[in-house]
Amino acid sequence: MNKPEFAIIGTGEVPCGIYPDRSEFEIAYTTARMAIQDAGIDKNEIGAVLGAVHIMGSEYNTEVFFGRLPEAIGAKGCKITAATVSGGGSSFSIRKTAEGILHSGETDTVLVIHAQRFSQFSANEQAKYFAAAGSDLEWDLPYGMTYNALAAMMTQGYMAYTGTTIEQVASVCVSHRKWANLQPNAMFHKKSLTVEQVLKSRMVAYPLTAFMCNVLADGGCAYIMTTAEKAKRVCRKPAYILGEASIYSHRSITNAVCRDLGKMHEFYAPIARKAYERTGLGPEDMDIFEIYGAYPFFTLMVADAMGFVEPGRSGALFESGETAPGGRYPCTTNGEALSFGHTGTGVGFGVFVEAVRQLQGKAGKAQVPDPKFLIEDCGGGAFMDIHFTIMGNEIPG
Amino acid sequence: MDIKEKLKQQLNLSDADFIKPLPVPTKWSQRFWDGAKQHKLLLKKCKTCGNIDHPPYLYCTECHSDDHEWIQASGKAKLYAFAINEYGVPFPFMPDLPYVLALVDLKEGPRMISNVVDCDHKKLENGMELEVVFEDVSEKISLPKWRPMKQ
Repeated sequence: MNKPEFAIIGTGEVPCGIYPDRSEFEIAYTTARMAIQDAGIDKNEIGAVLGAVHIMGSEYNTEVFFGRLPEAIGAKGCKITAATVSGGGSSFSIRKTAEGILHSGETDTVLVIHAQRFSQFSANEQAKYFAAAGSDLEWDLPYGMTYNALAAMMTQGYMAYTGTTIEQVASVCVSHRKWANLQPNAMFHKKSLTVEQVLKSRMVAYPLTAFMCNVLADGGCAYIMTTAEKAKRVCRKPAYILGEASIYSHRSITNAVCRDLGKMHEFYAPIARKAYERTGLGPEDMDIFEIYGAYPFFTLMVADAMGFVEPGRSGALFESGETAPGGRYPCTTNGEALSFGHTGTGVGFGVFVEAVRQLQGKAGKAQVPDPKFLIEDCGGGAFMDIHFTIMGNEIPG
Repeated sequence: MDIKEKLKQQLNLSDADFIKPLPVPTKWSQRFWDGAKQHKLLLKKCKTCGNIDHPPYLYCTECHSDDHEWIQASGKAKLYAFAINEYGVPFPFMPDLPYVLALVDLKEGPRMISNVVDCDHKKLENGMELEVVFEDVSEKISLPKWRPMKQ
C-alpha cells in the first residue's frame, strides 16, 4: 500500500455554457484566484503553474507556453511553468506533471488551470476538428467518419454484445442530468430530461440520438495541489490522492488492445483493481463513482470495470435510479460532458474538481452525505487510454 | 434541385466546401493506395515475425524489422459493429446522408473502418459476411468499401 504523497486543497470553477465574451484568459485568471482563495494560501506560495492546452488552438496556448499565467496571476514565487495535454486524459497527465514537480522538492505548491472557449469556432470547424480527434485523416475521414459515429458504432457493439438496451443507454443521460440539476455551474442546470425525451430527440448517428451526444461549451476550472504533508498542515479537509493506475491502448480504434466491445471490462478492470490495491481499499469502500464517459456507452463500460456492478449490467443499474441523487451508487455527480458541458480536455478537469469538492464537503446541493473515498477516471482520444484514481479525505489504514 | 445545391444556397457555401477529404499516402502506406487503385486490397506483412500492421507503419510494430511484403487480402470480412450517420457531418458528406460506418474484421485479422454500401440499412447485422468493393474517387485514389456478400 502506497503512502499518500499528494493532495488537493482548493478549487475554483466558472459556469459552463456558451459565453463568447468570456476569454480563455479571463477564465484562467478567475478560476486561479478562486482556487487560491478556496485553499486559503498566499498566492506567492505557488511554486509552479501548469496550464492545460486549449483544444483547437488559440493565442491562449502561445501565452501559456511562454509564461503568461504566473505573471497575470501574480504568482511571485513561481519557479516552473508548463503546458500539458493528452486529450481527454489531460486532467491526469497534468496531475502527473504536478506530482513530478512536487516530488522533486522544488516546491510544495502547484496551481493547475484549465480554460476553454469553443464558441470562438464555427459549428463546422468544431465538427471537422473533432472528427480528426477521434479518427485517422488517412484511414477514416475519407469515409465520412465523425466522432459521434465512432461513439455510435461502439454503442452499437456494446449493446449487441452485452444485451444492454437503448433505454438503459438513455438512462445514463437522465442520471447525469439529475446531478447537473443540482450543479449551478452546469450548462444544463435548469433543464430536466426523461428517457423518453432522450429517445425521441433527433437521430444523429444511429443508435445515438442528439441527447446521447455531448455539447461543446466554454468553461474552466483550477485547483491547488500540494504535498500531503503540507495539506495536513494548512487544510482542514484535503482531498488526498491515494492511488492511481493507467493503461494506453491505441490511436485508432481499429487497433484497440481489447477488440471485444462486450468485454472491455476485461481490459479496464485490472487497471481499476491496481488502483484499488495501491490504497488497500476496494469498490465496497467507495462512496462515489466519478466516471468520465463523454458518451453514455463509455460510462457503462467504465462502470463495468469499477467493481461495484456485475460487468455488462451497468445499464440495468443506471436504469434502476441507484446512480442518481439519493441512490446507493452516486455516479458522476457533476453531470459530466453530457449535462455539465464538454469543454475539451476540461471534461476530466471538471469531473476531478467535482471529486475534490465532494471530499471537501463543498459540493452544495449535489453533496453526497459525508463521503470518505471515491474512484475517478479519465481518458482521451478515440478511447486511447484510461486512468483510475482513488481519492479520500482521510488516509486509510 | 439536388441536396448539394440546396445546402449551398441555405448555408452560403461554395463548391470548395464540398470537396471530400482524400487519403494523403505516406512513404509506408503508398503501396496500399497503389494496390487499391488497381482494386487490390493489400496488407503489410512482416517477413521476420509474420505480423500484419494495418494501418501500416514505418517498420513492424511487433519486432521493428524493416523486412516486409505486401500480401493481397481475400477481400472477405465480417461486420463487427456499425453506425448510421444521419445528421451533423462535415459539409462534403451531407449529400450522402444517411450512410453507414462500420468496424470491419478482415479474414486476415486486421480491423478497418469503412462504409458498408449497396445494403438495406435495416438488414445490417453484427457478424454478417461482407466483400470488398472499390470506389474510384480520384485519379490516384480508390477507397475500399464493403457490401453484403452476394449469396
